[in-house]
Amino acid sequence: MLEVRDLVTVYGAIEALKGVTLSAKQGEITCILGPNGAGKTTLMYSIAGILKPRSGSVSVNGREITGSSAPYALACGIALVPENRLVFPSMSVEENLRAGAFRRLRGDRSAVLEDIDKAYVRFPSLKRRRDQAAGTLSGGEQQMLAVARAMMSRPNILMMDEPSLGLAPLVVSEVFSIISQLNKEGVSILLVEQNAHKALQIASHVYLLDQGRVAFSGTPGDIGEDDIIQRAYLGSKAA
Amino acid sequence: MSEYAISIASNMGMIAFVALSAYVVLVVGEISFGQQAYFGIGAYVSGMATAMWGWPFGFALVLGSCVAAIAAFAVGALTLRLRGLYFAIATLCFAEMIRLGLNSIHVQVEIDGEPVGPDGAEGFGDIRWMFEHDVTTLEYMFIIYALLGAVLVVLLLVERSNLGAVIRMIGQDPLLARSQGIDVGTCKLLVIVFSGMIAGLGGCLYAHFATYIEPNVFNVMLGVHALAYGLIGGLGTALGPIIGVVLDIGFLEGVRAIQGYRMIAFGGLVAILLIIMPRGILDEVRIHHIKRWLRRQ
Ligand SMILES: Nc1ncnc2c1ncn2[C@@H]1O[C@H](COP(=O)(O)OP(=O)(O)OP(=O)(O)O)[C@@H](O)[C@H]1O
Ligand SMILES: [Mg+2]
Repeated sequence: MLEVRDLVTVYGAIEALKGVTLSAKQGEITCILGPNGAGKTTLMYSIAGILKPRSGSVSVNGREITGSSAPYALACGIALVPENRLVFPSMSVEENLRAGAFRRLRGDRSAVLEDIDKAYVRFPSLKRRRDQAAGTLSGGEQQMLAVARAMMSRPNILMMDEPSLGLAPLVVSEVFSIISQLNKEGVSILLVEQNAHKALQIASHVYLLDQGRVAFSGTPGDIGEDDIIQRAYLGSKAA
Repeated sequence: MSEYAISIASNMGMIAFVALSAYVVLVVGEISFGQQAYFGIGAYVSGMATAMWGWPFGFALVLGSCVAAIAAFAVGALTLRLRGLYFAIATLCFAEMIRLGLNSIHVQVEIDGEPVGPDGAEGFGDIRWMFEHDVTTLEYMFIIYALLGAVLVVLLLVERSNLGAVIRMIGQDPLLARSQGIDVGTCKLLVIVFSGMIAGLGGCLYAHFATYIEPNVFNVMLGVHALAYGLIGGLGTALGPIIGVVLDIGFLEGVRAIQGYRMIAFGGLVAILLIIMPRGILDEVRIHHIKRWLRRQ
């Protein structure tokens, strides 16, 4: 279980997170919605050890990881699929997959190769393109590759930042079905989405982030979709 | 081999060190306009070691490259937070600082009644190790190529290793690399230090080949050429910058008929290649295809 308490992260004078408290329970899909600039990406980076929060705490299964490095967060089982930057463009598909497991390569190389084969079973289209430069894949394929690569570190918690960004509706559905599938296999998911409709269908818990604060926390049943959309995208004042 | 051919070949070998040093920084995703400074530091320090202090050549090489590596460490540590244009400008400023600093360094000792040592803008002559030890230019050329070969082997081995993959990941997307659990800062610093060491070693060789060096040899044009060699030859393998060097010095300068037009032809070559092959002749994708082809054979 991932717990975030009173997290404050700043960029110079800008306070992007003003004390965020939330948790992602083991085996669930937790979804974070919110308008542009709410601080969703900042939150993901702060959890993954890419940004150092000014105060507050992040812990995984009771282990404190606040402000630790990205390698440590990864070692604690947190994998991130960042927004908008999915693959290493001039590396091949297979090299991208290996990149996701590079911390394990020294130890159990054969296990890594097994995991690559598993990824190919899950994503047959990647297997066909294993030698292709990742930057030449379609948007949907790149998203699949990003998920497959994140899974290569065998995470307990998979954090995904707007995986449906810029994808055609059919591909979005595919991405969401993969997310549910991974979740059924036991991976906890922390999902940031703009696509509230899709996200609410698979989420077990929803947080609404607005201007660096949690504006709502509850199950999708606690709040209507219209209400969420109203509050997330038209701003809290309109509600 | 004629003296002319030896001198062209030796030049190619020595410039290849700067080209390789600029190349490794390019691979980690930054553009440095300052690699000539490490070349200069290596040249001055090793020249002082043999000519002024009477050190053996081998020790002078080690000292020259280590001092260059230390300078690279300092620059790398100071510029670690800078990216893109800011990094490029910072490295350029540092290199100019070194060059101007060399202009005002006067440390000379008296040897056989003659002052020996760097004399500011007047340069630093009498680096006579080759004559004192009866090393012919041909023999010296072999020393250059043996060391270049050793550096190349190290680079090619690193490229095949996990470290090589990590360096490429950082070069393509440092943030994404970090989210794969890579310590981007440390890796970058390591690469920059190594780049300083390679350029420094080249500088050591250069000083003892030329016997006379002056600060202006290490001006920014050397650094710009070093960058261009990687961009022409390709960023997919350490052999790329070597191809760039061979094309420019070996072909454009070496073939006498077109000698006078070297800079024009070179500028055109860079411009055209950057348009049709933005990451050089041997870029990552082509290298990948070649490797696959070799595996199948
Ligand atoms: N590198 C940065 N430097 C300064 N301010 C930043 C930086 N990155 C983000 N911000 C600011 O922090 C706030 C939160 O940004 P963040 O990217 O976390 O929002 P977001 O919720 O992910 O938005 P989106 O839905 O558009 O992705 C914004 O006001 C943004 O302008
Ligand atoms: Mg965002």
